[in-house]
Amino acid sequence: MRFLSEKLPGVAVLGIPLLWISVFMLLPYAIIATYSFWTKQYPTFSPDFQFGNYLTLFTDPQYSKVLIRTLKVSLLVSLFSFLLGYPFAYFLAFRCKSQALRTWLYMAVIAPLWVSYLLRAYVWKTILGTEGVLNSFLMSIGILSEPSDMFLYNQFAMVVTLTYIFIPFMVMPIYTALEKIPRNLVEASADLGLRPIPTFLRITLPLSIPGVAAGFTMTFCLTFGDFVAPFLVGGPDGNLVANVIVTQFGTALNWPMGSALSILVLVIVLTVLSLSGRVERHYSPKEV
Amino acid sequence: MKIRMIASYTMALSVAAAPALAEGTLNVLTWEGYADSSFLDQFVEESGCEVNATYVGSNDDFAPKLMGGGGVYDLITPSIDTTALMIDLDLVEPLDPSMIEGWDGIYPKFLALDGIQRDGEYYGMPYSWGAIAFMYLDKAFDEPPTSLDALWSEENSGKISLWDDKSSIYVAARRNGDMNIYNLSDEQIAAARESLIEQKPLVRKYWSTAGELVDLYKAGEVIISNTWAGYQSSLLAAEGIEVTEFIPEEGAEGWMDSWMVVKNTPNRECAYKFLNMQLSEQGQCGVANVNGYSAANAEAARSCMTDEQFEALHQDDPEYLDSLLIWAPLGDRFEAYLNAWNSVKAQ
Repeated sequence: MRFLSEKLPGVAVLGIPLLWISVFMLLPYAIIATYSFWTKQYPTFSPDFQFGNYLTLFTDPQYSKVLIRTLKVSLLVSLFSFLLGYPFAYFLAFRCKSQALRTWLYMAVIAPLWVSYLLRAYVWKTILGTEGVLNSFLMSIGILSEPSDMFLYNQFAMVVTLTYIFIPFMVMPIYTALEKIPRNLVEASADLGLRPIPTFLRITLPLSIPGVAAGFTMTFCLTFGDFVAPFLVGGPDGNLVANVIVTQFGTALNWPMGSALSILVLVIVLTVLSLSGRVERHYSPKEV
Repeated sequence: MKIRMIASYTMALSVAAAPALAEGTLNVLTWEGYADSSFLDQFVEESGCEVNATYVGSNDDFAPKLMGGGGVYDLITPSIDTTALMIDLDLVEPLDPSMIEGWDGIYPKFLALDGIQRDGEYYGMPYSWGAIAFMYLDKAFDEPPTSLDALWSEENSGKISLWDDKSSIYVAARRNGDMNIYNLSDEQIAAARESLIEQKPLVRKYWSTAGELVDLYKAGEVIISNTWAGYQSSLLAAEGIEVTEFIPEEGAEGWMDSWMVVKNTPNRECAYKFLNMQLSEQGQCGVANVNGYSAANAEAARSCMTDEQFEALHQDDPEYLDSLLIWAPLGDRFEAYLNAWNSVKAQ
């Protein structure tokens, strides 16, 4: 009895999360993995153990095309989020002298996260459309003589929309990493005669790499699994891997194929996670 | 005070929840408009059966939603290319036509379709029908298009839209001269796929929902597309955008939706009351007025439609109905069609 009352808190503390992870994470993955070896058979699919679905993934060019396109779009979104997000985070952490302004600017980046993703993606439709805000603006200042249809329903529109939507996930970790850099390191570098730019390249940037890696990972993985942007602002060549998975589970009623594709996506995402984990560890300040 | 407030909230909740739990609540999984309050309210009042409608965006939603299990739905309305799948999946039960008034008024052509029958029993009650017509923006064409070639024409580049559905294979096959669109060989499917890949650079967007197509026309993105005849064009007309539907020289597909009763529904009595209402003038003219679709019960349509509407919906035009290639179940060939369409989208 006494043994139980002593052990109970420990069991609860460890047991509940373990149970949670098993039931809501590991078990679903196991089910998906099992399905991926089944066979499509009209009207549905039947239990089996064969690698045909995986084989199709690697031999039918439609899957590699979509995977490569998804990789490309994800990398572009991460890259643009970095190019826009880093200077902003740097300004917030080092240059912005007013605490109030800093709070406001930081909130301005975070606030859109409270607005529905769908709504924000829709807004981009009205901005980029043929009769949209961007076209009207470019025509009013005389850059365009007639509306252009090159802004919407293509991969450009998807990258713009996804960059806008996921950029907070780049700014937040970079800002956190920059904040943690002791200011005296930068001052010491200046005292020893390094000019601001070399100081940035040799002190600030390397120390902020863990934040950049975290931001890259998050924006990349979020984009990799997105299926709404292709649907709303993507064009005929906008299908991403998540759309194909949706089709396999829905329209095609081919859960085995959808599962195999999901497992492949999982492997890619886990690879990215472990790579970025290594980068983070490599650049993290060493304990002396 | 606080306790009283909580108590009254709880009471309000339980009152609100009561009808949903009571026997006689029909859960229908259907298309928008098929359970419209304009004709449903009267039914609820008269029959005492509550109705909760959930809407699908595609015929492909029925199977996954029902296979999810749980016995949530009582009635569904798949189209004639999906009804056989419902029977094959053992998701629906046979109907008793003798319990449905107006059954004899249904077009014989629909009652003869294989998709709603199995082993001498009916599983689907024909409800409404129409064409997958084509549609163009009036002001964009001096000369009205008459052929599918308009959807492959450089002149309309960047202003073309096509339904994101296996139906695109049917369209491309017809343009290639293959009229056996529901029995295409692998070579014919491959040829259709090639045509669609050739067309792809001209396409602005593949549309997936009715609302999306309406938005594309409204925003000036698209001037020609296929459409669910009667539906999107009337939504556009309401917005003051003038479009014209047409059946191209290469013909058009026709569809027909049927009500099916989900296997082992606990609400069979209400389900049959509902079927009777839907096949009566109330339901038949209800859907014709809301969605602009033609009615399956010719007799009901004649007595509740005006002459103009009767004519506009081709209710008395057997030739029109015969000219449509009514959707047929593809069975195990479905995968070949869908795979071809998916690979077009992957390009």
